Amino acid sequence: MKSARKQGIGRGEIAARVLAAIPGNYLLTSLATACLARLLWRGFAVDPANASMIATLASFVVFSLIALAAFGLRSAVRLWLWLAGASIVLGGALGLSLAWGARL
Amino acid sequence: MKDGLRQSMALLHTWTGLLLGWLLFAMFATGTAAYFQDEITRWMQPEVAGPSDPVASAQGAVRYLQRVAPDAQSWYITLPNARGATTQVYWQPAADAPPATRETAAILDRDGREMTARATQGGYFLYRFHFDLHYMPVMWARYLVGVAAMFMLVAILSGIITHKKIFADFFMLRFGKGQRSWLDAHNVTAVMALPFHLMITFTGLVTLASMYMPWGIAANYANETAYSEALFGPYATVARSGKGAPLADLAPLMRRASADWGGKDTGIVVFTNPGDATATIALSRAAGEAFGSRGESVTFNAATGALQGEHRTTGAGPVTESVMIGLHSGRYAKWGLRWLYFLSGLGGTIMVGSGLVLWTVKRRARLPDPQRPHFGFRLVERLNITAIAGLATGLAIYFLANRLLPLGMADRAEREIDCLFLAWAGVGLWALVRPPLRAWIESLALAGLCFAAVPLVNALTTSRGLARSLIAGDWTFVSFDVVMLALGAAFLVTAGKVAQRKARPDAQMRRAGARTVRS
Repeated sequence: MKSARKQGIGRGEIAARVLAAIPGNYLLTSLATACLARLLWRGFAVDPANASMIATLASFVVFSLIALAAFGLRSAVRLWLWLAGASIVLGGALGLSLAWGARL
Repeated sequence: MKDGLRQSMALLHTWTGLLLGWLLFAMFATGTAAYFQDEITRWMQPEVAGPSDPVASAQGAVRYLQRVAPDAQSWYITLPNARGATTQVYWQPAADAPPATRETAAILDRDGREMTARATQGGYFLYRFHFDLHYMPVMWARYLVGVAAMFMLVAILSGIITHKKIFADFFMLRFGKGQRSWLDAHNVTAVMALPFHLMITFTGLVTLASMYMPWGIAANYANETAYSEALFGPYATVARSGKGAPLADLAPLMRRASADWGGKDTGIVVFTNPGDATATIALSRAAGEAFGSRGESVTFNAATGALQGEHRTTGAGPVTESVMIGLHSGRYAKWGLRWLYFLSGLGGTIMVGSGLVLWTVKRRARLPDPQRPHFGFRLVERLNITAIAGLATGLAIYFLANRLLPLGMADRAEREIDCLFLAWAGVGLWALVRPPLRAWIESLALAGLCFAAVPLVNALTTSRGLARSLIAGDWTFVSFDVVMLALGAAFLVTAGKVAQRKARPDAQMRRAGARTVRS
C-alpha cells in the first residue's frame, strides 16, 4: 500500500476501484451477458440455448477487461460514471426486452 | 501516461496474485497431478493389474447389477478407459425401496466382481480437491475456486501488460542472484507456457460457467431445467410397466455405437427401468475419445436393441463450451500430450509459487526493520511456507499413507486424506514457531525426504518396486516412482540452495536495515 500512496493513490480511491472492479463489474457484466443472450435470440434468431451459452462464454472476457479498466482508467470518478451509465442503459434495455417478449 | 498504466497494472498484478495465491498454488498443484489421476489410482491400488477391456467390463457390470439391484430405477456405469482398470457403478434404488437400505455405488473389476483392492480415493481425490477442496460444502468450494480463477485471469492479463519486456527477458534466466533469480523463474515459467496458462484459466472458468454467470441462461429461460432440456433432450421418466423383459446383449450395441462415432469407444452406459419392458440403454461416447467433453450419445430399447434416439451437441456456443471443458481436463490427450499438459501445469505451479515468494523477496529489502517485519509480511512469509512446502509434504504423505495404513482399517480411504491434511497443518504450525528462513529450509527438506521415501516404501511394502517394474516394463509404476524421486531431488536441492544463501541475505538484510535507520 505504501508504494501505492507514493503514486498518489489514496485508500479511498483504492476502495472505489476495488468496488468498481468486483461488485460493480459483476453487476455490469451480468447485465451485458443477459442483454447479449436476449439480443442473439430475439434480434438475430439464434437458437436460445446457443445464444445463452455464447453470452455466458463471452462474459468472462467482459469481466476481466472491465476489471483491468477499473485499475487502468486514470480517473476513478470517470470510471464510476461509465460503470453507472452502462449499467443503466443495459438494465433498461434488458427490462424492455423482457417486457416485450417472455422467457421460455 | 504509459508509465502510469504500467504502475497500476503492476499493482493489480501484485494483489490479485497474492490474495488468493495460496489457493491457486494448491489448485495448480493438484490439477497438474490430476492429469495422471488414473495412473495415480493404479499406483495406489497395487493389487490391481492387467489391461482394461470396456466391453467385458460393461458386461461384467450388468451381471453385477442384475444380481444386486434388479429392480432399480436406473443403473449408471462408468467404464474404464485405456488408462484405468476399474468400472464404477451407481444405481438409483426403486422408488418404494426403504430409504438408505444399502450401498448404491460400487467399484468393480473387469469380471464384474466388487474390487477387493485397498480402499483409496487415489488420483480421484486430487482431481476433486482441485475444484471441490475438502472439509467444506462443495458449493462454497466451487465459488471460492471460481473467484480464485477470475483473480488468476486478471493477474495473467495485468502481468502481461506490466512486464511487457517478459518476452525479451525470457532469455535471461539468472541463477543465484536473489530477487533477480526469483523474477526470472517467475517470468520463464510464465512466458514458456503463457498460452497454456491463459487457456487453462479461462477454460477452468468455463467448466462451471453457468454457476458463476447464470444470467445468460436466466435471460432466455425461466428455469434451468428448460435450458438443459433444450440442450440435452427431455428427461422423460417412464413408469415401469410391470411386465418383465430380458436385457439385450450390450456388446453388439456398443459396437454399433462405436461404428456410428467413427470408431470411438463408449464411456458411460445408463440403464433406465432395467429388466422391465420399458427399459432403455443409453450409451455415451468416452471422454478420452475426442476433444469435446459433452460426447455424443445414443439410446436403444433394452429388450430389442432397436435404436430409439441419438444426440450430439450442436450450436456454436454449446460446442465451444464442450471443447473448452475438454481442453481443460485433457481427457483426450495421448501420452506425449499428456506429459506436456503435466509439465505445463508444473510450470504454472512454479509460476504461482515463485510469484508468492517474489512478493516477500521484493519487500524484504524495503522493510523499515528487517529483523521485525510488520504483521502482513510475516503472515505472507508463513503462508508461503505452508502453501508450498506444506502441500508438497502433504501430497507425499498421502502416497506414503496409502502404503503404510493397515489394509483393513475402517474408513481407510478417508484416513489417507486426513493424513495429507495433518501433514500439511503440521508444516503450517512448524512455519509458525520457527524463524522463517530456517522453516523454509527444514520444510523444503522434509518435503524432499518424504517424496524420496515414496519409491522406497513402495518397494518394501509391495511386489511392484522400481527395479521390478523396470524389468516388467510396467511404465505406469516406473513413471510414478521416477516422478517421486525427481520431486524429492528438486525439493532437497532447493532446500540446499536456500541453506547456502542463508548467511548472505541475512547480512545483506542487516546492512540494508542499518542504512534505512541511519538515513
